[in-house]
Amino acid sequence: MTTVSSSEVLIDCQSVWKVFGDNAPAAIKAISERGLTKTAVLQEFNCVVGVSEASLQVRRGEIFCIMGLSGSGKSTLIRLLNRLIMPSLGKVIVKGRDIATLNAAELRQMRARHIGMVFQSVALLPHRTVLENAAFGLEVQGIPAAERNRTAERALAKVGLSDWLKRYPGELSGGMQQRVGLARAIASDPEIILMDEPFSALDPLIRRQLQDEFRQLTKDLGKSAVFITHDLDEAIRIGDRIAIMKDGLIIQVGTAEEIILRPADPYVAQFVAGISRLHLVKAHSVMIPVAEFQRTSPNIDILSLLRTNPEADIDELITLTMMSDRDAVAVVDDDAIVGIVTTRGLLRSVSDGHTAELAPA
Amino acid sequence: MEGLGFAGAFAGAFDDIVDSGLGWLGDNAGALFDFVRAVLEGFYGAVFWVLSIPPFYAIAVAFALIGWRVVGLRFGVLAGAALVGCSLMGLWPETMSTLALVISSTIIALIVAIPAGVLTGFAPKVDRSLEPVLDLVQTLPPYIYLLPGIALLGYGPATALAATVVVAVPPAFRLTALGIRLTPNEFLELGQSTGMTNWQMFAKIRLPFAVPSIMAGINQSLMMAFGMVVIAGIVGSGGLGETIYKAVRTLDIAKSIDGAIAIVILTIVLDRLTQGAARLGSQTGHGGGK
Repeated sequence: MTTVSSSEVLIDCQSVWKVFGDNAPAAIKAISERGLTKTAVLQEFNCVVGVSEASLQVRRGEIFCIMGLSGSGKSTLIRLLNRLIMPSLGKVIVKGRDIATLNAAELRQMRARHIGMVFQSVALLPHRTVLENAAFGLEVQGIPAAERNRTAERALAKVGLSDWLKRYPGELSGGMQQRVGLARAIASDPEIILMDEPFSALDPLIRRQLQDEFRQLTKDLGKSAVFITHDLDEAIRIGDRIAIMKDGLIIQVGTAEEIILRPADPYVAQFVAGISRLHLVKAHSVMIPVAEFQRTSPNIDILSLLRTNPEADIDELITLTMMSDRDAVAVVDDDAIVGIVTTRGLLRSVSDGHTAELAPA
Repeated sequence: MEGLGFAGAFAGAFDDIVDSGLGWLGDNAGALFDFVRAVLEGFYGAVFWVLSIPPFYAIAVAFALIGWRVVGLRFGVLAGAALVGCSLMGLWPETMSTLALVISSTIIALIVAIPAGVLTGFAPKVDRSLEPVLDLVQTLPPYIYLLPGIALLGYGPATALAATVVVAVPPAFRLTALGIRLTPNEFLELGQSTGMTNWQMFAKIRLPFAVPSIMAGINQSLMMAFGMVVIAGIVGSGGLGETIYKAVRTLDIAKSIDGAIAIVILTIVLDRLTQGAARLGSQTGHGGGK
């Protein structure tokens, strides 16, 4: 569905491992020489494997979500991307450079200019005003006060906090504090923003609002983001692509639609079961080829069917089907009919994973 | 019997070593200790001189004003009135002398304790090896520091100052190291992820978060200094400590109680002032104490 070759890769993780513990060097040697598993490493070396064999690519302009429950290694993984944690094995390549090879000054430069980070705890400095907090990254870079305050004001305006410049973090609600955290990250104008469960502590309404705003803002500014969450709904709402982690392993990477339609294993299937497909599954994944439709329903003229595009979601397809006296909708791409969505196909796409809900009471 | 004899001989030998060691220091490092004595007495003398220029009411008013700003109006009025009380008891010069001793010894102690505490906060290993030394300093009876002081620095304020500095160092040292060590992890990560240099991390993250702990340490050191300064009356410190010591020796109960009251007033005033300053320091910017 998406082509890797055409888009530029900003972050490239290549078989990255992180092993914690006193015997970590020996454990890493055993992993690279004997290919030990996570459980074997724990038994043999008493070392905890935070991330094992993680490979992923974040492309320019994309929001990449990493979803996993607590202890899945997602927080460790995101910290490997800006070297807050040094990988034990494997490479993390950011903008074409292996960050393990950067010296202290280059690393500072990379973090200050190219990778912003937003934390779950927000980490606003309590003695500084909202404006001073938003300007913090620029202050660290040694930018003069007048200039950094102008930039920080613009960043705060983007998150809707222009009226709160002189306030202190303690006077702001949780959602507003998190906006300041986001403003602080974008004030330095980095290409990549790392979001470490930024909205997890917020109440559901504020959270949805911030999710939508964050996605919009990231797209408007043309930034790329890696977004950590333990909530699949959030990952689906925000992410262009989603990686699902369990026990330090990335089990599946794909778009929301790919993950919902083809979960890689029972663990992912279990997560996906509760997710509504109405807006996630698109016409191109439920349509059948024209030839097959003509074979099963030879008396229906496909030119008489209502038409839609391949990106129409199930919700739209249902509405179209209801408007028509036929049991099918034609999917049109570039003026050609590329497939047919039948009522039967629609029902099947909705019912997968929903069988219990749809069973007669 | 023989064991006891051996123990006695051993104790005797140990005492001889300590005595001859002190004697050797006095003979061979005399110039050094003369210098230390001159510095300590000079510093104390300067602080005392500054405090004795203004009349008692000016100082009382100054304390009242600071107390009003830092703690509150009621405290300010009480502090000023209590200091006037010290003067009415005829103990004003002694009170100022004690204040000068406490201030000068605490300043010297902080000059040592805060930088050392900051360094130790960065090096947990150093902290582990210094811990027993600090425990020793804090648990030995305070009198112990006076005798070698007399041997090396002589009878007078220099010995009182030196002994006071020794007991005033540990609290500020420990609480400074603690404050530096306990920087919340998320702020360390913030500093790292914004690309801070080590110096920026110290000045903009670690130190601001350590300020409340350091202020508590300063307050504790000040209190230790007060305790010691009274005991140091024995070695001719001058001030209220000596007043009380002399009154006790001559069984002048009334005078000793006057001295004790003056000490209590001075201690409470300085304790509340430093606590108030610590509170102000850690509250700044929290939205007006919301």
